[in-house]
Amino acid sequence: MERNIQKNGLVNLAVAVLIFLAGFGVTVFAGSLAGQAASIFLGLGVIVAGISWFQMRLEENEHSEKLELDELARSRGQSLFESKDGGSFPAQNARLQFEKYFVPGFAVLILLLEAGGAWLLWNWSGKNTAGLKEANATAALSLFAIFALLLFLIGRFSVTIARLENHRLLRPGASFLLAGAYVCALVALGIAGVEAKFPRADFWVARGLCVLLGLMAVENLLTLLLEIYRPRIKGKIARPLYESRVVGIFAQPESLFTTAAQTLDYQFGFKVSETWFFQAAQKNLAALLLIQFAALILSTTVVFVDVGEQAVLEHFGRPVATLNPGVHFKLPWPADKIYRFRTEQIQSFAVGYTPDPQSEAANTILWTVSHNKEENFLVANRATVTSQTASGDTNDTSKTQSVGLITVSIPVQFQITNVTDWAYKNSEPDTLLKDLATQEVIKYLAGIDLNDVLSQGRLQATKVLRDRIQAAANARSLGAKIIFVGLQDIHPPTAGDVAGTYEKVVGAQQTKLAKILDAKADAIRLTAVSGAQAFTITNVADARRIQLVSSKFAEAALFTNQIPAFEAAPSVYRQRLYLQSFADATKGARKYVLLVTNTQDVVIFDLEDKIRDDLLNLSITNSP
Amino acid sequence: MKKNVLTIVIAAVLVVIFALLLFTFQVRQSEVAVLTTFGKPAANNLDQPNLYFKWPWPIQQVYRFDQRVQNFEDKYSENLTADNTMLLTSVYVGWKISDAKEFFPKFAGGSVEAAQRQLETMLRSAKAAVIGKHNLSDFVNADPKQLKLENIEDEIKTAVQNQLASQNYGISIDFLGIKKLGLPESVTQTVFDRMKSERQVLISEAQFQGEAEATKIKSAAERQAADVIANAQADATRIEGVGVAEAAKTLSVFQQKPDLAIFLEQLKTLKSSLNQKSTLIFDERTPPFSLFQNLPANTQTK
Repeated sequence: MERNIQKNGLVNLAVAVLIFLAGFGVTVFAGSLAGQAASIFLGLGVIVAGISWFQMRLEENEHSEKLELDELARSRGQSLFESKDGGSFPAQNARLQFEKYFVPGFAVLILLLEAGGAWLLWNWSGKNTAGLKEANATAALSLFAIFALLLFLIGRFSVTIARLENHRLLRPGASFLLAGAYVCALVALGIAGVEAKFPRADFWVARGLCVLLGLMAVENLLTLLLEIYRPRIKGKIARPLYESRVVGIFAQPESLFTTAAQTLDYQFGFKVSETWFFQAAQKNLAALLLIQFAALILSTTVVFVDVGEQAVLEHFGRPVATLNPGVHFKLPWPADKIYRFRTEQIQSFAVGYTPDPQSEAANTILWTVSHNKEENFLVANRATVTSQTASGDTNDTSKTQSVGLITVSIPVQFQITNVTDWAYKNSEPDTLLKDLATQEVIKYLAGIDLNDVLSQGRLQATKVLRDRIQAAANARSLGAKIIFVGLQDIHPPTAGDVAGTYEKVVGAQQTKLAKILDAKADAIRLTAVSGAQAFTITNVADARRIQLVSSKFAEAALFTNQIPAFEAAPSVYRQRLYLQSFADATKGARKYVLLVTNTQDVVIFDLEDKIRDDLLNLSITNSP
Repeated sequence: MKKNVLTIVIAAVLVVIFALLLFTFQVRQSEVAVLTTFGKPAANNLDQPNLYFKWPWPIQQVYRFDQRVQNFEDKYSENLTADNTMLLTSVYVGWKISDAKEFFPKFAGGSVEAAQRQLETMLRSAKAAVIGKHNLSDFVNADPKQLKLENIEDEIKTAVQNQLASQNYGISIDFLGIKKLGLPESVTQTVFDRMKSERQVLISEAQFQGEAEATKIKSAAERQAADVIANAQADATRIEGVGVAEAAKTLSVFQQKPDLAIFLEQLKTLKSSLNQKSTLIFDERTPPFSLFQNLPANTQTK
């Protein structure tokens, strides 16, 4: 009795649709990332089950058509129906058209869904921080376990039917159902992990299922590419393109060898699985695995500690030795374990800022331009104003405790000096060291004046901080040596243009200096000019003295010589001198001589000077 | 036969591995473990590193905990100081599991996260109480001797330790430190404004000091120049006086014929007082125009 395979396919499809919808609902209900991945997987199962069921129907129609035609041929005579025209077999043509066009189309659709689903879910799971809803977790766990059981029972049944009766079209859907059972079980395990205080269990199951979807996409792509080059042998029934070997292996791991053999046979067109190598590998698989396992265990007895490293050797959890660079032997894992530490490497962290690669690429670092993600630290402020000219009211403000804010960038470098202390005293020694360094920076800044630390205090700050951080690390037995503490940047906050006003102070001081220097230059000029003027005044006076004395003595000498002439003819000499002097004195003067005396006429002289032409033409404008 | 031996070996290996997994467990140096039998914890913690034996689940179960110092940081929270300043602080705490079997049942199967949540609750309460007792100057002070940060840390630590000890949480605090110290954003902005005002005072100071200094320098120079010129003018007067004195020696010569000397001085003055643009009007009595007196009258002249 031949089983009606189409009904099996329909049952598979119905179960796939039902579980897909239910699984999706539970996923939304519980907020499970793994549930989302499982929903994509179950959705793909619906598509595969649907295609295979539809293809089964086409094959069954074709089979019915063939039986009807055979019946007609027997009843009416064979010659009437020996047509080679394809149009006489519509069901067969429909199947062929479906396999030729629709099946590859669906395979491409499945590929896109697999690749897109893996990609989107991977990104989504990385960004999602909501996590599982703990209140609904238990119910979701139970439901996924029930889905897993249902899918396992039906999937196992269908797979067995497909294998026993060699129904190739039942196999893809059945494999998806069985694999879906394992996927649902994994989701349930992930949720159980979260409930057992492994909060990332759901996330990692989701990531694992993303990888599975990715593998399925790669396999689907390879199958589509290889399908182009596969040798077509007449009578050889093609494997459905939408059947995933990865799903088959995932659903039935024991069939790995069989699947591999079938794949090779199918791809090369001859029985690769019958070659001696393949047979030997299959026959001695257990021994090979045992040897592999032994080699793996033996490999754990040798340890190579690299240059710059030290390792702690633990024997059943107890640290028994510190291993230096070189080769070492130990008992196999898990009796002896080693934990490596890079003791030579100079490690570093930053206090007060988060390095920003984009800003660090800048060649110029300014107070007014933020060059990292900086934090503000509280710092004491001894006086609000340090001005010498500050008036009495400043004293009132200085009585209250004033604080300032400052931005510091302090890189700290350290080395691990004692691996035992580093590994066993604190759970997160590097975080603790950073916390200690930050605490010391805060204490230092809280106890120093803002202006001191910005100016002369910087020099000693690095040394003081290094000593304090080292002392704090020693007090906590961190096993670390502080190599360097740098005060690479310390300035008022960039925010609010505080740093900008500091620059303006410098500008004002420069302006002040410029004004003083200008005044000094003026003073120098004035002093020099006044000196020269004084020199001129005294020299002019001296010249006039000399001139006066000389001229008077000369006049005296002349007078002495004039006396005899005067005594000889006093009136003549006097008149001569007068006339000579008159002539000289009036040589350039205008002279009017009135020869008329005792007359009634009035003589009018116009003594006005003639005004020059250029002065007459002068235009006068009103000044603004 | 050969295949059977191999199968037995593989089976034996698998059984041994499975048995080791079921019946043994390791405790590392950094760990402390609690072994429960049917859910009941054993009397002693397993805090020494070694290989231990146990009955398989569900008879016995092992719960491991990190016995190293673990540190966590509380939220950056705002509190009021004794002098009514809003202060933001965050502290980090180094704590460890001091008694695993006490710790284990109190925090949902030994959840470190649950323990830290509880610890943070206590910490915030203690922190608020301690900060409220101190002035801002105890947190930030230009005089390091008046700074009381370490005292404040000790007070918070003691308060939390007392709370932990009273209920035996199985936790001890190893250390506690202030990791962040700040002001609320609105206060931060006012501090920025005050810092800018301080700078503005210095800017004004520099500007006006410059002007004052320049004015002083200029006026000093002007005074010095005036002094120099005044001295020079005084010297010049003295020099001229000396010249006058020397010239006066010649007066005795002129005294021999005073009339002539005066006449000569008048002539000299006449010469120097007339220039090119002088206009002189004479009548015929003025020598040498007196020569015109004897000439016939010009009847046409009026």
